[in-house]
Amino acid sequence: MLKPGDAAPGWDLPCVFDGRISRLRLDRIRSEMVVVFFYPHDFSFICPTEVTGFNRAQPAFKQEQTSIVGVSVDEAEVHLRWSQELGGLSYPLIADEEGILARQYDVLDEHEKVALRATFVLDAKRTVAYSLASSINVGRSVSETLRVVKALRSGHLCPADWQPGGDFGPADTKS
Amino acid sequence: MAILKPAEERRTFERLANLREIVFGVQDGVLTTAGVLAGLSGAVSGRSQIILAALASTAAGALSMGAGAYLGTRAEIEVIRAEMRRAREHAREQPYIVQESLLDELAKEGLSREAGYRVVRLLSSAPQALYSTAEEKIYGLSGGAFGNPVVDGLLMGIAFLVGAVVPLLPFVLLSSIRTGLIAGLGTTALVLFAVGYAVEGRLAENRYPAIAGARFLAIALGAAAAGYLIGLAISPLGAAAP
Repeated sequence: MLKPGDAAPGWDLPCVFDGRISRLRLDRIRSEMVVVFFYPHDFSFICPTEVTGFNRAQPAFKQEQTSIVGVSVDEAEVHLRWSQELGGLSYPLIADEEGILARQYDVLDEHEKVALRATFVLDAKRTVAYSLASSINVGRSVSETLRVVKALRSGHLCPADWQPGGDFGPADTKS
Repeated sequence: MAILKPAEERRTFERLANLREIVFGVQDGVLTTAGVLAGLSGAVSGRSQIILAALASTAAGALSMGAGAYLGTRAEIEVIRAEMRRAREHAREQPYIVQESLLDELAKEGLSREAGYRVVRLLSSAPQALYSTAEEKIYGLSGGAFGNPVVDGLLMGIAFLVGAVVPLLPFVLLSSIRTGLIAGLGTTALVLFAVGYAVEGRLAENRYPAIAGARFLAIALGAAAAGYLIGLAISPLGAAAP
């Protein structure tokens, strides 16, 4: 799995956004930071809580100059029906049908041929600034991802469980 | 248009499940008694001793098999009921996990993920339907498959007795140990072949019922032959005993 400091592999893949199938390239995303979250399947009972969770939090991520991109190995047509099932999404879902992107980020379960539940935060240079993976049956925390984005954007040395408005670490030189 | 009647279908399957006790009981009664006759024929010379031992073995076997079937079915029912309670508790506490697991099982059975999702979502609107489907698909439990311990015990015991008569009757009717044993083994072989032919062959709609019968018989004959050889091997112990 890619770790902080690794260059994030780019992509040029089909995606579903705004009710349409199109294509998305990493180098076309203009926001300062990018949250790329991989998940195993569309039409699942664990995945929708994350997908809709990121959708609800999208305005807060946008305030932090951060785009969200969801990735699974489902086809674009399935993504389209899934986003319709969920009432529409405000960020793109990438159709990584061959698992190429998941493999490049080293989060492909080679046995099941699906992506692990993994989250990457890419900085302005499109380097991995944060990465996390969990078991397929455990959903991630969207609020924690947002907290991490805020901490990364602060540029400060943030202690454990830092929250916006809280003190930075004693060794922080930027304060 | 004829439709299935669930209650009738369930009763048919329950009767078929009783076949296990009947086949097990007959086969065990036949083999145990044939084994006792074959083993003792190799070890002792008194015909009445052999018959007495076989009768005692038959009585003990029928009672123990019957009690075993009764206790086994009772234990199975209690354990399965406890598992079903645990499964329902799990489903109530972690519905997402149960829904996802059911989705996976339906996908393994050929339903597309999207179709499976819609099915599970529909089932989720009726908790009882979701729980019973999850019990069957995920845990392999089925509330309708409970046997009746008393029926199972009686069937097993009676089947054992019926099976025991097969090798014992010719042995009792014929005056020579050797001839009686051969005749007993002969009727044993016939009945075992017939059970295999009828149940594994015809009832199971096997294309080659005779092969099913022969396989059933081969396993049984192997056990009888082993019994005879063990009798021969331990016969010196009988001679050496005070």
